Amino acid sequence: MVAIRFIAADGSEQTIDATCGISLMENAIANGIEGIVALCGGNAYCGTCRVHVEPDWRAVTGLVTEMEEPMIEASGDTHPGVRLSCQIEVSPALEGLVVRTPESQE
Amino acid sequence: MSTVQARGCPVHQGRDDRKSARLADANLAPAENARVVGSFAAGREILRSSKVRQAGAGAEMVDLSRPDEISFFFLDGDQHRKRRAAVAGLFAPKTIVTRHRAVMDRTMDSIIASLQERGAAPLDELSWQMAVDVAAEIIGLTESDSNVNLAKRVRAVLDSSVSHNPSMLKKLLFRALMMIRVGRFWKHDLLPVIEARRKEPKDDVISYMVKENYSRKGMIMEALSYGGAGMMTTREFIVMAAWHLFEKPALRERFLSGDEEDQFAILEEILRLEPVASLLHRRAVEKTDSTTRGGAMAEDETVCISIRDANVDEAITGPCPFELDPDRAKRMKVVGPYMSFGDGPHRCPGAQVALHETRVFLDRLLRLPGIRLEAEPDILWNPQIQGYELRGAVVACDQG
Repeated sequence: MVAIRFIAADGSEQTIDATCGISLMENAIANGIEGIVALCGGNAYCGTCRVHVEPDWRAVTGLVTEMEEPMIEASGDTHPGVRLSCQIEVSPALEGLVVRTPESQE
Repeated sequence: MSTVQARGCPVHQGRDDRKSARLADANLAPAENARVVGSFAAGREILRSSKVRQAGAGAEMVDLSRPDEISFFFLDGDQHRKRRAAVAGLFAPKTIVTRHRAVMDRTMDSIIASLQERGAAPLDELSWQMAVDVAAEIIGLTESDSNVNLAKRVRAVLDSSVSHNPSMLKKLLFRALMMIRVGRFWKHDLLPVIEARRKEPKDDVISYMVKENYSRKGMIMEALSYGGAGMMTTREFIVMAAWHLFEKPALRERFLSGDEEDQFAILEEILRLEPVASLLHRRAVEKTDSTTRGGAMAEDETVCISIRDANVDEAITGPCPFELDPDRAKRMKVVGPYMSFGDGPHRCPGAQVALHETRVFLDRLLRLPGIRLEAEPDILWNPQIQGYELRGAVVACDQG
């Protein structure tokens, strides 16, 4: 298990014990993170599980993949740290990761 | 009433609220030699694997060496991803709200006005109008003489897209008929749009195909794939959801007094029990490993993933899987429609569009003064899509 901190748009925070080997989105849903919707269940087809990765962590989580680009573009979210959390697999390297959830997932 | 005591939930005294299950049980036809997978976890793992390819639905007969002449539906890997990505924005939640919602509202205005004037109408006729208008807008089929005629031509092609008769003469007649029907669709619906989009591109599927210089055959296949899926399946689901809501006053009341999130939860739960598509076939191009029981595939093995079984897998639904319980998905922390829209790279691109148009349709219809279901639908089986069709339902309202 690794500790991951979610910060909502209103500033409220929740730290979860995330399971390795599954996506950040699945961990967020399992732990009731309200800012993650994930309408498509983790297929990168809805863009409603967006997170904004804090600058210090972007090299660890990696860049936006080709799979993520269309839905991020369609969402209009231009944050430099934006990723789809369904495409980030949780691993021990993410211990202490900090991500923010956008004000809206539409 | 078709609600009966469940056969699978004796401990919890659960009901079986499914209307299409018995018909599906009697008619479902997995491909020969395909291993049926009913576990949600195993099904999802297979559908998400990069080592499987489309199978069934005529996939074995498709010439993959000419990808520009076949629908995205039959492609896999990078070719499939590129095609899907190019138009993915058309199906994004934000696009639905900012663009397609206006089409849904406009169509509903027309449907409501017509229904109030007539006093009664076949429900599947009304749901067909909604499904066709929305799909036509997204694809870009906007230059037809009318959407009614467009829908007739699309349906004529799709209804006869599989020949069931093995005799040579029948096959020849079938091919000739298909050529005529496809020709009509090309002449009256597709060609006028292609010419219009060459002059002035828009944000729709056909503009993308024009930009990418698709062949005539490629354009026809792609437009029919999006059109067929968007029109035919949504038509049935709207009627099914309406049937459940007319039959269950408490559920209808909750639907009408709930916010959009709750309305979607109700619709998704109905869809879990009554998926329009029932089977998905996949063939492994190499051996796949698995962490789930039944998820591993041998090289060249074909599996048939049963959406209906996966959707009632108690490992993911919790107890009483045949009961209509709109709070289930939230309680179980899973995505509401479960496997109803498939999963993995081929997950239905129009899933959110279908849910939105169904919500808009029913929210408006069920608020009409005097609205009632005068005749319940007959439930039929469509062997081509391995799914149900609902015909004969009539809704009536106060005239005025």
